[in-house]
Amino acid sequence: METFAQSLVSGVLTGALYAMIGIGLTVVFGVMRIINLAHGEMVMLGMFGAFWGQKLWKLDPFVSLLVWTPLMFVAGVLLYRLLLRKIIPGGELNTLLYTAGLSLLVANLALLAWTGDYRTISLSYGVTVRPFGIAIAVPLAIAFVLAILITVTLGLFLSRTNLGRAIRATSQNPEASVLMGIDVERVAMVTFGLGTALAGAAGVLLAPSLYLYPTVGELLIVKCFVIVVLGGLGSVPGAIAGGILLGVVESLGAVYVSGAYKDGIGFVLFLAVLLYRPSGLFGAGR
Amino acid sequence: MKRRHLPALLGVAVLIAIPLSIRNSFFLHVCILILMWTVLGAAWNVLGGFAGQVSFGHAALFAVGAYTTIILYLKGGLAPWWGIPLGGLAAALVSVPIGLLCFRLRGPYFALATLAVAEIVKLVALNWESVTAGSVGYLITTLPSVRLFGLSVNWEAKTPFYAAAVALAVVALLTTGWLRNSRLGAYLVAIRENEDAAEAVGIDTVRAKVVTLALSAFLAGMGGGFYAFYFRYVDPDAVAGIGLSMEMVFIAVVGGLGTVGGPLIGAVFLTAVAELVRDRFQMGHLIFYGLFMMLVIRFMPEGIWGRVRRLTAGATAGA
Repeated sequence: METFAQSLVSGVLTGALYAMIGIGLTVVFGVMRIINLAHGEMVMLGMFGAFWGQKLWKLDPFVSLLVWTPLMFVAGVLLYRLLLRKIIPGGELNTLLYTAGLSLLVANLALLAWTGDYRTISLSYGVTVRPFGIAIAVPLAIAFVLAILITVTLGLFLSRTNLGRAIRATSQNPEASVLMGIDVERVAMVTFGLGTALAGAAGVLLAPSLYLYPTVGELLIVKCFVIVVLGGLGSVPGAIAGGILLGVVESLGAVYVSGAYKDGIGFVLFLAVLLYRPSGLFGAGR
Repeated sequence: MKRRHLPALLGVAVLIAIPLSIRNSFFLHVCILILMWTVLGAAWNVLGGFAGQVSFGHAALFAVGAYTTIILYLKGGLAPWWGIPLGGLAAALVSVPIGLLCFRLRGPYFALATLAVAEIVKLVALNWESVTAGSVGYLITTLPSVRLFGLSVNWEAKTPFYAAAVALAVVALLTTGWLRNSRLGAYLVAIRENEDAAEAVGIDTVRAKVVTLALSAFLAGMGGGFYAFYFRYVDPDAVAGIGLSMEMVFIAVVGGLGTVGGPLIGAVFLTAVAELVRDRFQMGHLIFYGLFMMLVIRFMPEGIWGRVRRLTAGATAGA
């Protein structure tokens, strides 16, 4: 029973961070109908941002969030303006291949610059506490709280502000949005910036809890697909639920099925959902 | 003999002349790599270029071929010329259930599903140790002594591998050429352009796609079998990684989607980049793969071969 509670808790903690990565991807898909295969690399850049921030400027990783999140937002906007905008009209498969190329480029530039060594971030408060006999790593708990704060802020932004409403409207029906006077081009740009910033922020938050290496994006992007497909592509609440579900399934699977096949459980779930409920576990059906 | 067969015949003549005239084993090694990548690019192109089904998991089929061939050789003593086609056959068999599952999905969803399938195959290869030897992998130490036309085959020379690679590449390109002019090929182009319309005119789209995937898997699996014998080493990271899937995509896209000659051009390009860059830094070639893929999609989505064909066609029409 204790093992069960333990894996449930650590699953939820990791799941919230997965969810944050998933939200970035799903928002971009909702507005632009593109799947950004380079999303995992954005997370990787956030992780390395946190690492170098601490190494070079003695910046606490969680404080460096304030630096990297806006920076990644700008990077996302530029990426959209300079590179992606011309590709998107060519169809979704072209965009998929293009972002696959981008992902190769970024990951391997990082590999060239930072080598393939596994790195870790050590924190003075990187200890494990045991409330109610359940072990919780402090950095992961802090990351969890911050992830929830960021997600709630994003939710408020999407539901309360004009720009947020414009984003949701575009995601529901681009043609009608244009007719209602929404500058869809600008919405797309902001959304891509937002998605990239979320990925970067999730990377910063994850950095103290994971190994850092330049090709970590490969693993993360696949997990990210699992999440958004579980929740239904384009749905923010779906991505949250999918992220937490994946976190829990992975950590329960590692304990009760097999550690070696831990990642495989997620993929099998992914295929099953793709096949039987392609609009997601919580979608309304196609 | 029609005029359009001339370039193909010329190509075969050049391929035969290469090992006879140039006795540089590094050069021959590069040629072998090019031909191997041609087979893999053609395998991906059959599905991705003609049918428009983008797969990010072709490494899984390559891995099935490589493992089948090497296991048959090490445990059953089966010679390469049986093992390699059987590797292709095994990959084709494995591809049928994969196809039946994944082809229920379309476009990007299909691509994501193949990615998941490839990751599952890699995990199985890593963990099913009694069959795949896990992360240790298999190593071929000695190749069989055989005599061909009264001469014993010298496995230390590159020539026998070169001959096998030529044979495989010719098979792959002939298959693609046949497909382009066949009924199935027409079905596939219809599916690529508009799947609903294709279904509406009575094409059994799932069947056409599954058959094509099996064909593609057969080629990819033979490529895997050849890889196993040429490099004599198979482990999950080498044969089932996502990087390998991406390289197949790269060759087909850069060479020209849905063309016969495209994969050959793509393979020349890929190998040239890899060999030129390798001296300077180890992983650098992947940077250039990414960069070129982006440039090609941005500036010539029909690929190098597609662009050349269009330009020459324009010139002939104008003359």
